Amino acid sequence: MPDRSLIRRPARRAAPALLLVGSLLLSACAASRQAESAGSFYDPLEHLNRRIFAFNQKVDRHVILPVAKAYNRALPQPARNSIRDFMRNLDSPIIFANDALQAHFRDAGQTFARFALNSTLGIAGFVDLAGRWGIPYHDDDFGVTLGVWGVAPGPYLVVPVIGPSDPRDLAGNVVDGYADPWNYTASDQGYVWAPFVRGAISGIDTRARYIKALSDLERTSLDYYAAIRALYLQRRAALIRHERTLPPNPTLTRRENPAPATAVLFTARNGSEVSP
Amino acid sequence: MIMRRSLLAAALLLSAGAAVPATAALDAGAFIANLGNEALAVLGPQTSPEQRAVAFRALFRRDFDVPQIARFVLGPYWRVATPEQQREFMRLFENYIALAYSTRLSQFSGERLLVTGWQPIPGGAIVSSEARRPGGGPPIRIDWRLTRYDGTYKINDVVVDGVSMAITERSEFASVIQRTGGNVQGLIAMLRAKTAGAAGD
Repeated sequence: MPDRSLIRRPARRAAPALLLVGSLLLSACAASRQAESAGSFYDPLEHLNRRIFAFNQKVDRHVILPVAKAYNRALPQPARNSIRDFMRNLDSPIIFANDALQAHFRDAGQTFARFALNSTLGIAGFVDLAGRWGIPYHDDDFGVTLGVWGVAPGPYLVVPVIGPSDPRDLAGNVVDGYADPWNYTASDQGYVWAPFVRGAISGIDTRARYIKALSDLERTSLDYYAAIRALYLQRRAALIRHERTLPPNPTLTRRENPAPATAVLFTARNGSEVSP
Repeated sequence: MIMRRSLLAAALLLSAGAAVPATAALDAGAFIANLGNEALAVLGPQTSPEQRAVAFRALFRRDFDVPQIARFVLGPYWRVATPEQQREFMRLFENYIALAYSTRLSQFSGERLLVTGWQPIPGGAIVSSEARRPGGGPPIRIDWRLTRYDGTYKINDVVVDGVSMAITERSEFASVIQRTGGNVQGLIAMLRAKTAGAAGD
């Protein structure tokens, strides 16, 4: 006869354990924020991460970068933009769901409107009409949603081939991948390879847009690994904070407020994306 | 998060009471817009990389709070460095920033810097701006953190899409120091090698 108290005991133990884990997560969250502002990031697996990072750089140099360059040569900019817009349109249901889960309903409305317009008048998403009409694209994913819900990122991870991540973002990737309507429709129809092809195309397209930014960063940084880590973790934290731009200073009168102070800062090259 | 927000709100309220009448005359937004105009001339496609680095260094020296930034990016290592090391680091850091950022910013494309607002904070101001892409992509948000000095501002950090340049450099430099035996000298040697031949005095 199994002793019922044996069964119950773990549950009774679990409650304080859960509390402990919860408070640890919270304090880890606070600690990571402090550490971030001090410029040191939580990277207990740094030794292993650096080895994977070095491996990824080799893969990039010998496989991904040559493919990305060939992609840039083979297709003119407008064609590449159309491919990007199509891939982004496919992402709309997941972006919409995450906007809603974060209670960012204005963003969710924008994503919905973009999807409706671009899928129809925008020819299955190949033309970003909504963007031209003033409804800009924004990205969102379940890693950000988890962050908004207060889940701590955990240790920084470098994933083979994929690159910078952390447990929270990895979990987010899995959830987004399973929840994506196109992925499971394709799998149901027997096209199990389709999600991988989709991932590869958007990966190559993204890599192709950052060729110069990343090579400049690698060339000018003292420690490329540390630079990428700092960029990735700060960028993810910023997406989770979801800050809006400051309103014009209310203490200024209309005349004093530079209306709107415009300066052409950066030089034209190819209309590519910027922040590395 | 809420805590931080309300702290910020409290700080803004306090500064609204005390600092605003004094700062109103000194427009932080115009300060950044002017810098943007000057940077345009510097970063334009007609300038060579060398000219760009030299001109960028002049702007950096004039408008950035170099001593404060240098101290911040060295973090705890600033105090263990000898005065000679501090001086040498500050000199090399200027050259390094000029080289690194004139290179990295040169590929920002066709952008217009639009100052969208600014707020006084105790001891300075935060200016928000957007670099807009002609292609219609989402604008890149650039925040400038300013320290106020008599009659002018100095920039102490630039935050691009949530990524602070000061925090990024601090993390990178700390990593270099740790990997070269925990001594500032290792970082100084690397900075010297990186900036050799570029942006000379």
